[in-house]
Amino acid sequence: MPSNNIARASGWPLLASELSVLFRRRRTWAMLLALAAVPVLMAVAVRVSSAVPPGRGPAFLDRFTQNGLFVGVTALLVCVPLFLPLTVGVVAGDTIAGEAGLGTLRYLLVAPAGRVRLLLVKYAGAAAFCIVAPLVVALAGAGIGASLFPVGPVTLLSGDVISPQEAVLRLVLVAAYLTVSLLGLSAVGLFLSTLTDVPVGAMAATIVASVVSQVMGELPQLDWLHPWLFSYYWFGFADLLRQPIAWDSFAGNALLQGGYIAVFGALAYGRFVTKDVLS
Amino acid sequence: MTRKWLRWMPAAAVPAVIAAAALAGSVPASAGDPLPAKTPEEVLALVAQHAAPSLSGTLEQTSQLGLPALPQTGSSAGSDAASVLELLSGPHTARVFTDGPDNMRVQVLDRLAERNAVRSGDQVWLYSSKDNTATHLTLPADAGRHKDFSQFKHPGTGTDGVMPTPEALAARLLAAADPTTEIAVLPEVTVAGRAAYNLTITPRTEGTLIGSVAIAVDGQSGLPLSVELKARGQVEPAFKLAFTSLSLEAPDASLFAFSPPPGATVKEIDVPAHGTEPDAAVPGSVPGPMDRHGGLPKPTVTGTGWESVVEFPASPGSTEAGAMASNDPLLQQAAVAVPGGRLFSTAVVNVLLTDDGRVFAGSVPAERLLTAAAAR
Repeated sequence: MPSNNIARASGWPLLASELSVLFRRRRTWAMLLALAAVPVLMAVAVRVSSAVPPGRGPAFLDRFTQNGLFVGVTALLVCVPLFLPLTVGVVAGDTIAGEAGLGTLRYLLVAPAGRVRLLLVKYAGAAAFCIVAPLVVALAGAGIGASLFPVGPVTLLSGDVISPQEAVLRLVLVAAYLTVSLLGLSAVGLFLSTLTDVPVGAMAATIVASVVSQVMGELPQLDWLHPWLFSYYWFGFADLLRQPIAWDSFAGNALLQGGYIAVFGALAYGRFVTKDVLS
Repeated sequence: MTRKWLRWMPAAAVPAVIAAAALAGSVPASAGDPLPAKTPEEVLALVAQHAAPSLSGTLEQTSQLGLPALPQTGSSAGSDAASVLELLSGPHTARVFTDGPDNMRVQVLDRLAERNAVRSGDQVWLYSSKDNTATHLTLPADAGRHKDFSQFKHPGTGTDGVMPTPEALAARLLAAADPTTEIAVLPEVTVAGRAAYNLTITPRTEGTLIGSVAIAVDGQSGLPLSVELKARGQVEPAFKLAFTSLSLEAPDASLFAFSPPPGATVKEIDVPAHGTEPDAAVPGSVPGPMDRHGGLPKPTVTGTGWESVVEFPASPGSTEAGAMASNDPLLQQAAVAVPGGRLFSTAVVNVLLTDDGRVFAGSVPAERLLTAAAAR
């Protein structure tokens, strides 16, 4: 067992190399481009078709023609149940299992980095993707919306009107909310990734976990369980679009995701430091 | 081998810590000084003397009325009757802001939507984000005085024109209620982090569906903090409305200045001088069929106290409601066919729509409504 406090200072180069590997991968770029395509498709579809009556399709779809900034919000809304968990599942499931599958995990552990630090760096990489992915959707949505539709004061859910600058700030806040929302799923993926040497298995299991959590969240028979599911607050980002902002769900979400990080981080630690690394 | 087990210790400890924290959080904190003991009369007086305060708070409503679950985002939520039912059934969270008696804003927080009622002086705006409509109405002068308990001032009690003291009002209320109702103050409760008197109203009769009503009254301000309605034989409250957070500071004045957002559909409603209290209602419920008292003949009441049955004679309004009940698919689901009509049954109230257009309602078992209907 390598001791945990050897070379504590050398964590940053490891993180830098992890991030550069992650964001130079063609797969990562493909996923981010696919995410950015969602708002573009929606905006173009609304632009070339006739006006959408209120109450049809996803929320705010009818507001596109009045204000392009709504494209970002609606795109995030559409991405929350599947696309974002899918991409995060791929990144988080790949963290340890990917290295094991390629046979590079052994070499990473030969360096005096320590397993705990490797685990932390791998999680930080997944978290960085959680920051980038919603931001890409939000900004691509705002960008395509601004180029196809007029931009003006934005009507919040409460009926109050805010300036476009403040609206962009709220959009970034919504993206930050979703970043926090996905951190728990990333921790689940990290743990699953320590269980296997087959990265595809860990990715699939992570995505299945997100689907199972959402399905259970829809069953009224499991009411008592709902506040404990990591997907419980996923749609709560609408609270950031109220006036005044309702911070309750942001705080509740952060607490919940923190709990998931603690539990599955501890599980991943227990598994990874006791694991026999053969490949 | 022992080293290996040590590595798994955090994985066992973290859930244990979280479980302990969750348990500790669910135990109501009984911190602070206990409230001075008060009789029911003193608690009622405390409620009666409380001034319309400035507050911002979050209200949570849960109900187990026995109504069928209604889709919260479905397209069928458009009909007026359905939106009233939707507000009554199912859980809701609302934020309330008031500043004095004339400024008020209620926001019903729906999933990805919001319904607003804003009142500033005599101007009332209702806004629904779902269909982006704003409704404007101007209150008749003298409306909104309903908060000062003047509705308890019945004609003939000798108090016309003179506002009774809260203590006198409480004493009279208790005396009037006593033959049918037991009013007691149970051990204090904590609501939204505030110590509150727990005023409990229990009917003395067995012939009603209502088991008890509990009202938590803030020990300091006399503001009612929660209302809990229990049906007879039910453990979970049939209806509960409670503050989950409350601050008695004046909210930002800009909250009460509402103008319809650009692009919204704006409707104008004329309020007759003797209108109902629109600021107590929420958007969606305003044009509901239940509000058209004006079109209905005077109802008659049979029975007394908790066992009263209200009868609305046949009229164009009630037959229209009956037709609506048999046509609206949601209401069709909710109302069951019984001999001679349709019964709309909840845990605390039964409503019978007879085939000849009469309407019977009361917090009594369905059999009593049927006997009342058959008696004519």
